[in-house]
Amino acid sequence: MTVLARLDEAKAARQQKPLITFNGATLRLGGKTIIENLDLEVRPGEFLCIVGASGCGKTTALRLAAGLYRPTGGAVTFDGQPMLEPRREVAIVFQDYGKALLPWRTAAGNISLALEACGIPVRERPDRIAELLRKVGLPAHAEKYPAEMSGGMQQRLQIARCLAQEPTTLLMDEPFGALDAMTRQGLQDEVLSLTAASNTTVVFVTHDLDEAIYLGDRVIGLLPHPGRIGIELDVNLPRPRDQLATREHPEFLRLRRQLFDFIKATEH
Amino acid sequence: MIWRIASFAVAAGFVGLWQLIANLKLISPVFLPGPDRAWAALMRGFATGDLTSKLVGTLEHMAYGWLAASVAGIALGALIGSSRLMRIYIAPSLEFLRPLPVSAIIPVAIAMLGLTQGMALFVIAFGAIWPIMLATIHGFAAVEPRLYEVARALQMSRPAIVFKIALPSALPDILAGMRLSLTVALILSVVCEVLAGLDGLGHWVLLSARAFRSADLFAGVILLGATGYVTSIAMSLAERRLLAWQSTR
Repeated sequence: MTVLARLDEAKAARQQKPLITFNGATLRLGGKTIIENLDLEVRPGEFLCIVGASGCGKTTALRLAAGLYRPTGGAVTFDGQPMLEPRREVAIVFQDYGKALLPWRTAAGNISLALEACGIPVRERPDRIAELLRKVGLPAHAEKYPAEMSGGMQQRLQIARCLAQEPTTLLMDEPFGALDAMTRQGLQDEVLSLTAASNTTVVFVTHDLDEAIYLGDRVIGLLPHPGRIGIELDVNLPRPRDQLATREHPEFLRLRRQLFDFIKATEH
Repeated sequence: MIWRIASFAVAAGFVGLWQLIANLKLISPVFLPGPDRAWAALMRGFATGDLTSKLVGTLEHMAYGWLAASVAGIALGALIGSSRLMRIYIAPSLEFLRPLPVSAIIPVAIAMLGLTQGMALFVIAFGAIWPIMLATIHGFAAVEPRLYEVARALQMSRPAIVFKIALPSALPDILAGMRLSLTVALILSVVCEVLAGLDGLGHWVLLSARAFRSADLFAGVILLGATGYVTSIAMSLAERRLLAWQSTR
């Protein structure tokens, strides 16, 4: 058997058993249909990006995957089981880090919150906290309060807190939307290396099309009113990605063009 | 620093003015002692222990009433504030009870509990509970919803959510309420002592006034003022310590 065939087989096997499945998922809130009949499969280890115009339901789709909403029709399953409540192996990174962190706890204290919830013994916590802070590049800021940190640092801290629950899946809701371009690029690469190292499955919602292509193995574009899938693109760009080379790659530019045309068409 | 010196100078000026008025006998010394005589009475009261025991009595009334109000106010406020349904159901009853003057409650309390320490405790706690409870309700209702989602995502237990998320988040409001209640508790302690003849500075002040011992009367009043001042400063220090994270904002 050739290596290529074996790879294909492995890929096929993975495709047979998706980690997260939306099966005709529908969500109505207050008489409005936010998401209708959404069919979507997220494979283990995959980096999936969801884009779409504002109000297309991409955040809602993520909240369904997190178990923060229950579908009013159809089903959302995780590892074959209905996702009715949040689970510890699924962590969610919110866009508004300023609201998601506890302002009265230091950086170390915020990470500790997740360790406490996971029942990690007190003795083991300091080492774990130090390790997590090092992972996200904040080793010198353990005793700082969130208000003393920049936006980028606060978002790193939230990511560290999510990693503390040792998730197999990371759901990220426009995590870098409020950050400046330089900070954003740095964090993109860090998230890529962190999740690649642990083979974490990622669902990443963004309104930045370049970011979606840069990060993703696959990009899905949602159509609004009600939210449903409008386009699906496989991103066959070499990894590890590089901020300059990847973004200049002809394939990147082709995908970018395709995605922009799609979004433009939905905005009427 | 210069402002602190200035504020001391103003206070000293008032004492000087008081001494001047007393020396000129603008008001009869039977009713108005000078600060010198009031101070002497204060020292004498402490030396004999008479005033000390009265001070302890008032501090006890104040502390027990305030602590009872704090425990009950925070517990009830947390219960009401964390549920929208509770707020809707209970708010009208609270709005009826809250503006009731405590002085109107005292005869009721005396009728039911007699002229006892229990009556004083009830009256002080009843008066002091409102600022704490209303602040706690507000604090619990204003917890950032995102933090509850973080708690859900971490599958935190209900007690953990209350003690690690809601309570610390509401703490600034709760402490502000407790500070207001401190003054209310002192006022009501004195009122109860006067009305029910309970051992305390209120009783001391009343008896001194009736016996025209104006120096003792003023000693008691000075001590009451000092009690209010010192407890308020202690509360500020506690707040600054507990809310250290806020100073970084």
